[in-house]
Amino acid sequence: MNEMKKTPTDNTIALRKGDFQNLAEALDYAAGGVTGINFYSGKGDLAAAVPYAQLRSMALSLARRLLGLGLPKGGRIALIADTNADFVRFFFACQYAGLVPVPLPAAVHLGGRQAYVDNLRKLVHASGAQAAMSSSSFFPFLSEAVAGLDLNHVGEPGYFDALPETDLPLQIPGSEDVAYLQYTSGSTRFPRGVVITQKVVMANLAGIIRHGLSVRPGDRCTSWLPFYHDMGLVGFLIAPMASQLSTDYLSTRDFAMRPRLWPALISKNRGTISYSPSFGYALCARRIRPTEIDQYDLSSWRIAGTGAEPIRPDILEQFARLLAPAGFTSRAFVASYGMAECTLAISFAPLDQGITIDRIDAEALTEEGIAVAVDGTARCGQAKELVFCGPALPGHEIEIRDDQGRALPERHCGVLHVRGPSVMTGYLGNPEATREVLSPEGWLNTGDLAYLADNQVVITGRVKDMIIINGRNIWPQDLEFLAEQMPGIRARDAAAFSISGSGDEETVVLVVQCRQLDETEREQLVEVLRGRVREEFGIDCRVELVPPHTLPQTSSGKISRTIARTDFLRRNQDLSQSPMKCAGENRT
Amino acid sequence: MSRAGYDEILAEVKKLLARFGKSREEIDEDAELVNDLELDSLLVMELVQEVEDMFDISFPLNDLSGIHTLKDFVLQIQKEIGA
Repeated sequence: MNEMKKTPTDNTIALRKGDFQNLAEALDYAAGGVTGINFYSGKGDLAAAVPYAQLRSMALSLARRLLGLGLPKGGRIALIADTNADFVRFFFACQYAGLVPVPLPAAVHLGGRQAYVDNLRKLVHASGAQAAMSSSSFFPFLSEAVAGLDLNHVGEPGYFDALPETDLPLQIPGSEDVAYLQYTSGSTRFPRGVVITQKVVMANLAGIIRHGLSVRPGDRCTSWLPFYHDMGLVGFLIAPMASQLSTDYLSTRDFAMRPRLWPALISKNRGTISYSPSFGYALCARRIRPTEIDQYDLSSWRIAGTGAEPIRPDILEQFARLLAPAGFTSRAFVASYGMAECTLAISFAPLDQGITIDRIDAEALTEEGIAVAVDGTARCGQAKELVFCGPALPGHEIEIRDDQGRALPERHCGVLHVRGPSVMTGYLGNPEATREVLSPEGWLNTGDLAYLADNQVVITGRVKDMIIINGRNIWPQDLEFLAEQMPGIRARDAAAFSISGSGDEETVVLVVQCRQLDETEREQLVEVLRGRVREEFGIDCRVELVPPHTLPQTSSGKISRTIARTDFLRRNQDLSQSPMKCAGENRT
Repeated sequence: MSRAGYDEILAEVKKLLARFGKSREEIDEDAELVNDLELDSLLVMELVQEVEDMFDISFPLNDLSGIHTLKDFVLQIQKEIGA
C-alpha cells in the first residue's frame, strides 16, 4: 500500500508574496509548485494531503458543476466550515465560478443541538445564500436549519459532485467583486456579514505575508484555528496558499480534546508559523505531559503568533518556560492585532523580539486616560502591564480618537480607528450597522480602546461591551436576551459583562432584575438560566438576582453595562476568592 | 447491551467526573452534564478525550449535541463500544 505523504516544505517555484489580482490567480500560481495542505486526524495521523495543483484541478472541476446551477454572478453559497479538504475545495471552486462562499460555524456544544441549528438558520437566512453545503458530520444540522428557507440546492459534497460538468466559461472575479462573506463579528441574534472584496483581501494578504510574517522559503504553517474565523480562514488557509506554503491542519475539536497534538505536529513536520489566542497556549501548557517535552523539537517554530483576545504575557511566559527544553524560544511570540472588518490583520509586533511590555501607571490610565510609563520599581498594584502590538501595516493609518472624534496624541487612550486598503466595504445588507462603524472617508471604528506608543498599537480594552472567552467574541446582548426569555423577566431586566476571575479566566456575569420572591423559584431561575447559557455558548456564568430598578440606566433608557459592572463589584467584594460561585448559592 | 456493561461504564465516568471536581456524593444518572455538573465546553472536550482513551472508541462529536444527562452520555459510550 502506498503510504500517504505530506506535501513538502520546499517548493519548486519561486516564492511570490501574495502579489496577485485575486484568489483564483493566487491558486493558479501555487498549483505550479509541489506544496499544499495536509489534514491530520485526532490521533495525529495524516488523513489527507492535497497539493495546490490537485486543489486547483478539483476546484475547477467543481466550479464547472456549480456553474450549471445557474446562480447569478455573486450568488452566495453557505459552507459549513469544518476543517477538511471539502470545505477548502468548495471555497476555491466559488472563486472560479463567480460565487461568494459564506463559511459558517462548525461547532456545537454538549446538548446544544437546538441552539446551533437556530444559529445556522439565522446565518443562512441573513447571508441570502442560495445553496448550502456541509460534509456529512454536520449535514443533519444544516438540513434542519434550512428547512422552510428558500434554498434550491442543499447537500453534502457528493450532491454537488454528482452535478454534470458544464462547459460554461469560468467567472474569474474582478478586483471589486466579493471574495467571501465573514460572519465572525456580530451577535448571534443579529449576525453581521463582513463583505470582503478580492482587492481588499489581496491587500491584507500582501501585508501579512510581506510585512507581518516576512514569509520566506522553508516556512511551513500549522493550524487548528477554525475556518469560520478570520484568523483560521485568512491567516491559515488563504495566506499560506497566496504565498505557496504547505500547511498542516488539526481540527479545532481535536485540538480542544488533545491540545498536545499541536506541538507534536509542529515538531514532526518542522513547522515555522503557528498562531493561537492566549487560551490555546494556556490549554496546551495545562495538558502537556512533562515526560513528553523532551520528545518535542520546537526549534523550527519561528513565529508563535497571538491575538484575537487580550494577550496575556503571563500565560505566554509559562508556555515558553515549559517548552524551552524542547527548543521553543519566547522570542518567537508575535503579538498582533486585527479584526474581520479589516480582513484580518491591522498590526504585527516586530519579529524575533517576543512579547514587549509597556508598564504604565494604572491610576493615570483609569483616571485621565493617559499611559504614563513607570519604571521597574513601581509597586505591582500601581502598574499595569500591556502588550505592544506593533505598527500599522504599510498603507494603513491608525488614529486614536476621543469621544468627540478628535485625534489624540501618543500615549493618550481613545478609540482606535483604522483606514486603509484592507478595510471591509461594509456589512451585507445592513447600511445602518455599516454607517455606525465606517465613515464616508473610509475610517473604520474598531470599537477597541487603545493608545499609540512609539507608533505601536497598545490595546487597553473594548468600547463595545464585548465579552471575549477562549478567543470567542460573545455579545452581552445575546446573554441578556436569554435572561429576558425567562418567565417573569422583561426586556431591560438584564445586564451581562465579564469580570476577571481567578487565574487565567474571565468570568461572565449576568445581573437580572427579578420580581419573584419565592426562594426555591429564584434558585431554579438561576440554575435554568446558567444552563441555557452553557448550552448556547458553552461557558459558565454567574447569575445575580437583584430587585427591580437596580440596574443603572443611561439617559436614553438603555442599561449601562459599565456601571452595572462597577455596582456588581461593589456589592460582591469577596468575589476574588470564588468567582464562579453564584449569587443564588450564596444564600443557602 | 447488558445492564452490567452500562453500570461499569457509569462507574468509570463518575470516577472521571470526580477527578474534574465535578462529582457530588450521590450523582444521579439523570443529572444534566451541563446544567447540573457545570461542565464548560473545554472540560467537555477533556472528558470526551478521557472517555475515548479509556474505552478505545472514537466519539462522533456531533452526537454530543443531543446529550443532556449522564445517562445519555453513558448510553452513547455503550453504543460506540458495541459499534
